[in-house]
Amino acid sequence: MLTLRVVGRTIGVECGELETTALLTATYGHMKGGHTAIDLHYTVGWDSSRSSFFIRREGCELLTAPDDGTFLAMFDENFSIELQKLRPALYFVHAAVLTRPDSAFMLVTESGGGKSTLCWALSHHGYPYLSDELGPIDLGTLEVHPFTRALMLKTAAPGSFYPIPAAALRSSRGWHVSAEDVPGGVGVRPTRLTAIFFLRRDPAAQAPSVRTISAAEAVVRLYANSLNQLAHRGDGLDAAIRITTGVVCFELVTTADLPACCRLLTATLNGVPAYFVAKQ
Amino acid sequence: MTNSPRRRSDVNARLLEGEMVVLDRKADLVHHLNQTASFIWQRCDGHSTRQDIADQLVETFEIDPDTARASVTVTLQQFDELGLLDRTLQ
Repeated sequence: MLTLRVVGRTIGVECGELETTALLTATYGHMKGGHTAIDLHYTVGWDSSRSSFFIRREGCELLTAPDDGTFLAMFDENFSIELQKLRPALYFVHAAVLTRPDSAFMLVTESGGGKSTLCWALSHHGYPYLSDELGPIDLGTLEVHPFTRALMLKTAAPGSFYPIPAAALRSSRGWHVSAEDVPGGVGVRPTRLTAIFFLRRDPAAQAPSVRTISAAEAVVRLYANSLNQLAHRGDGLDAAIRITTGVVCFELVTTADLPACCRLLTATLNGVPAYFVAKQ
Repeated sequence: MTNSPRRRSDVNARLLEGEMVVLDRKADLVHHLNQTASFIWQRCDGHSTRQDIADQLVETFEIDPDTARASVTVTLQQFDELGLLDRTLQ
C-alpha cells in the first residue's frame, strides 16, 4: 500500500498492479509518509475486463478512467475534494506555490492560465516548490501547507528555456515532473504566505508587467479561485479578506517570454518584506 | 427602475479601503466595485433618490452635477443588469 501524508492527514492507496503503482508513485511519491491511522483509503488499479483504470472508495461510486492521464486527473480531483473535507478549517486555493527563505508566494489563475508553466520556470531560479495545484492556507497563521504532487505540464514550455526532464512521466494529459526533479528543491513544511500574484496572460503584450492591486480586487480574484469557500463563515468572504489583507497582492501580466516573467517577479518579490506583518 | 433604489438584502457585501466586494451566491458571482460604484451602492437604501445620491457625489468627490447624474444612471443600470437591486420595489 502507498501511504501518503499531506495537510496533517494520512492517505492509504492500495494499488492492484505495477503500472498503477508506478503512476501514483511518480505523481505522489514525494508525499510518502505517515505511520498513523489511515484517514482516507483508496483502492485503485487496472481492470483488464473493462480496459480501464478504476478508483474505489468504500461507500462511494466506482470511478473508471480509459487512460493514464484521465486516471491521474480523476484521482487528483477526488483526492483534493476529500482533503478539503478532512481539513475544512483550511482555506484551499487553486494555486501554484513556491517559497523563498521563510516565506511563500502564490500564483493564481484559472485552469490553463499558465501557473504550472510559470511555476516550473521559477523553480529554475532558486525557488523551492510547494505545489502547482493546491494551496491549503491556515487562516490563523497564514501558512500554506505543502502539496508536493508532481508538477504537471500540459505543454512544453515555449522557447525550450526550461526543458522537461527526460525522467518525467508522460501521460495522455501531459508531463508529470516528480517533485524530486524540480530544480529549485522542495519545501517540506507549512510556510508563511507573503505575496499573491494573480496571473493574466496577454500574448499581444510587448513585455510582462506587474501592478499592485487593491485589497477588494484581490479578494474577488482569490475568492473566484478558491475551492472550499462555503466551508467558512460568511460564505468564505471573511476568510478571503483575512488572506488578502495579510499579504501583498499583484496582477502579473505574462507573455511567452518566461525568463522575463521570472525576472520581473523576482524584482517584485525583492520589494516585499520577508514577513509581511502590516494589517494583522 | 424605482427612483429610490434598494440593494438586495441577501447579498453579502464588505467594504475594504473604500471599495466594495459584493458576493451574490444566487448568481454564483462576486463583484468588485470601484470607489464611485461603492459610494453609490452604499446609498441604495430604498430611501435616497437618484438625485440625492448624485448630490452627495458632487459634494464628496467635487465633480460637476452632470457628471454625477451620469455616473449614478450608468452605475444603477449596471447594478440592475447584474440583478443586485431589489426588484420588488419596481
